[in-house]
Amino acid sequence: MNNGTRLLPATVIGSYPVPEWLGRMRNDWYAGRISKRHLDEAHDMAIKAAVLDQQLVGLDVISDGELRRDNDVDYLLARINGVEIRPRAKTDYFDYFDAAVTRPLHASDDLGLVEDFRFVRQLTDLPVKVSITGPFSLARRIDDTGYSDNGELVRALARTLAAEAGRLAAAGAQILQIDEPFLAGRPEEVELAIEAINLVTEGAEVSWSLHVCWGNRYARPLWEGHYDFLFPLVKQTDVQMLALEFARTGDDDLRLLEQHGWDRGLGLGVIDVKSRQVESADLVAARIRRALRVVSPDRLVINPDCGLRHVPLDIAQAKLAAMVAGVAQVRAELGAEQPVPSTQRAADS
Amino acid sequence: MRVEIRPVSRLRGDKPLDLTGALAPVVSELAASDVDLSRLTLTCDWIQYKANFRDVVDYRPILEAGRAADETAELADSGQPYGGEAGLEVALDLRRAADSDLSAKVRQLLAEHQNPASSRRVPLEDWVPGRQSCIWQFNALYWQALSYWEQATGREYEQALPGGESDARNVAAARELILELFKVWDDLDARAALPSELYVAELGVGNGNQARTWLDEFVALSAAHSRDYYRRLHYLMGDYSPHVLSRAMKAVAHHGEHVTALVVDATHPAMSLGFLREKAFLVYISNVYDNLPSDEVARIGGRAYLVEVRAYLAAAEAASIAASLNVSPDRLPDLTSKLVKLGPELLCEALPQHFPGAAQAVTFWRDVWGALRLQERYVPLAGLDAYQIADGLTGELLRPQLEADGDLRMHVNNGAMSSFAHTLPLLHPFGRLQCHDLFLTDIRQYLAGFYGPGKYDGSVVNWVNGPLLRHVGGRAGFAVKIAPFGQRPGANIKTLTVQVRD
Repeated sequence: MNNGTRLLPATVIGSYPVPEWLGRMRNDWYAGRISKRHLDEAHDMAIKAAVLDQQLVGLDVISDGELRRDNDVDYLLARINGVEIRPRAKTDYFDYFDAAVTRPLHASDDLGLVEDFRFVRQLTDLPVKVSITGPFSLARRIDDTGYSDNGELVRALARTLAAEAGRLAAAGAQILQIDEPFLAGRPEEVELAIEAINLVTEGAEVSWSLHVCWGNRYARPLWEGHYDFLFPLVKQTDVQMLALEFARTGDDDLRLLEQHGWDRGLGLGVIDVKSRQVESADLVAARIRRALRVVSPDRLVINPDCGLRHVPLDIAQAKLAAMVAGVAQVRAELGAEQPVPSTQRAADS
Repeated sequence: MRVEIRPVSRLRGDKPLDLTGALAPVVSELAASDVDLSRLTLTCDWIQYKANFRDVVDYRPILEAGRAADETAELADSGQPYGGEAGLEVALDLRRAADSDLSAKVRQLLAEHQNPASSRRVPLEDWVPGRQSCIWQFNALYWQALSYWEQATGREYEQALPGGESDARNVAAARELILELFKVWDDLDARAALPSELYVAELGVGNGNQARTWLDEFVALSAAHSRDYYRRLHYLMGDYSPHVLSRAMKAVAHHGEHVTALVVDATHPAMSLGFLREKAFLVYISNVYDNLPSDEVARIGGRAYLVEVRAYLAAAEAASIAASLNVSPDRLPDLTSKLVKLGPELLCEALPQHFPGAAQAVTFWRDVWGALRLQERYVPLAGLDAYQIADGLTGELLRPQLEADGDLRMHVNNGAMSSFAHTLPLLHPFGRLQCHDLFLTDIRQYLAGFYGPGKYDGSVVNWVNGPLLRHVGGRAGFAVKIAPFGQRPGANIKTLTVQVRD
């Protein structure tokens, strides 16, 4: 799962802080006060800045920060043929659309992720990750009267996403991540979710990651608990890596990987995205060392618990800097790299 | 020239107000002056509070944008006519218009406006945003030295409330809320997800009547319920005044260790109650938000302004109060400042020559409070993002309302917003915040009425900008509902309920 990068590659989960002014521009667009062209230009500029930020701080795998997306659901739902959205206006961009499916979905044209990927690809030589909200979570935000069995909607969405994944792979994407933010709230349906995830991954021969967290809507957890519900079923997925939340909740659940013999990659959440307190590099390093007791270094990717959407930019940058510095400490201990003091890194940048 | 009539409902009905009679002398005097009428707004309100902070008529400069704030203020204070002004607002209270010689008053005001140095007002403070005005120090003093005030007036503060009783004693409201909590707990218990400790917090406990009513009812309902929730209940009473807490604790002494009293700053509840983060099933706040410091902001001609105020005493009242103390009126700002800092008991110790006993200090307090008025002016905001509502809340949150309906003046309720925003993280995912207070439900109400500040006995009362709370809550992931108070549907008091959404 290293994708040709260094040992313990550092990355974001997906989303990057959304500047207040960008949110305001989106609201202005919904209110008809600015044109789509101006909004698109703002998105382009914001993404360029986010990519540069990630490079400067020293991440190894880059994301577009999901900065074109209002939230984790609407960007995709609004592009899927057959998903009815009424109205398409919002008072606040972060609100969810009211989405409905009244008859079975038919094939969708491309969902726009290829264009998004190409935009980031041209900005960096580093590996680029594209995140896709998973079919199970997308279905949770749809009022479904089109299928007698809601599972069929989940599968139909999965096939749509699989087609998009295929197009992404054809365009050169090598790292794709499925986010299932609502799965932890429906642990009894994990079997359906995993079936759908496998339908998606069939669409592309790439490095697949699955991110499952406890919710991050408005920077609040939606649920509490443990990852027991994922195991052992999650071993039936075709993903190469699980990206899980540990920084906020503690690392008790690392035992599950050992207990269930998870021998693939782990995206280790070492940064609490629901707290504005900046972790120290030492704390990050300690968290990585604890994970290394159950996961070998070549299987470990280091990331925040979840997306950084709700974290103020300056705090997010400081958190990522601490994460990178913590990674460097452990790399040095493993003989993989000399540690780079964060102050030096900041000075270099 | 623009004329804005807010109390439109009073233009109709059996006894419509005599608008022509009220406006004619004012317009006539304005027309006779050399004020730039093209940049003048005559704003008419109906100030329903008999005790309030406004004169029947006053003027409010609208300061120029594009200058540094201090430069603009300096110009406005410089004594140069219309220095630093982009416009002028004349404010008229229609309730008192018929009883006043408006022509004379407007002439006098226009003379003062042209030559600020001629003002005979006695300012008690510098120009400040509303929330920093000394009226809030008076408000704090009222609650801290309540017993002195009550002794002087001969009545307890509850008797000053409309109807003479706080809604805190409403058993039916308490029962409804407790039964809803039981339902949530039953559901959680069925899923083995009910915590062993069940936390309920009340902020602003008053005399403890609400807590006693609520807990007594809880005990009765818990006994009748199959699960004994009272055994697991922790009721936290929070107030900023140890004196108030001590009195409230006596009211609930029979609930023993189920109740804990904590000194809590209602505007920063998480500072004392941080341990409750995501644990509180109910946070109850009654009649607190309307009593917390607030700024007002306005949109005038498409630009955002902060309303700055300056507390003052009119010349006649200042002379009368000063004479009663045998001092000159220019001593009053210093004496007032000492009063709100020290309170009546220490004031008479510090200045026995003026206040031989606490009774005289309380008389001074009541006299100044009764006469206190607020001058106002509009100061342009450099950008909403640069204005801070409270910690972690930028002025950008005001934008949807300020840009919704043209020109508008509204409360920011900074203290309430801070309290609200910092209370939300305390709520358990299935918890709720419930408030009873004077909430506006629609931002357009500001276009048709006056909602404070006014004086309620010795305290300040301000209606609370409910739509702004709804917006702030919504942006934090909470559904905020404001409904009529179930037990008194016609009352001004509304019930605000907040729960996690999505």
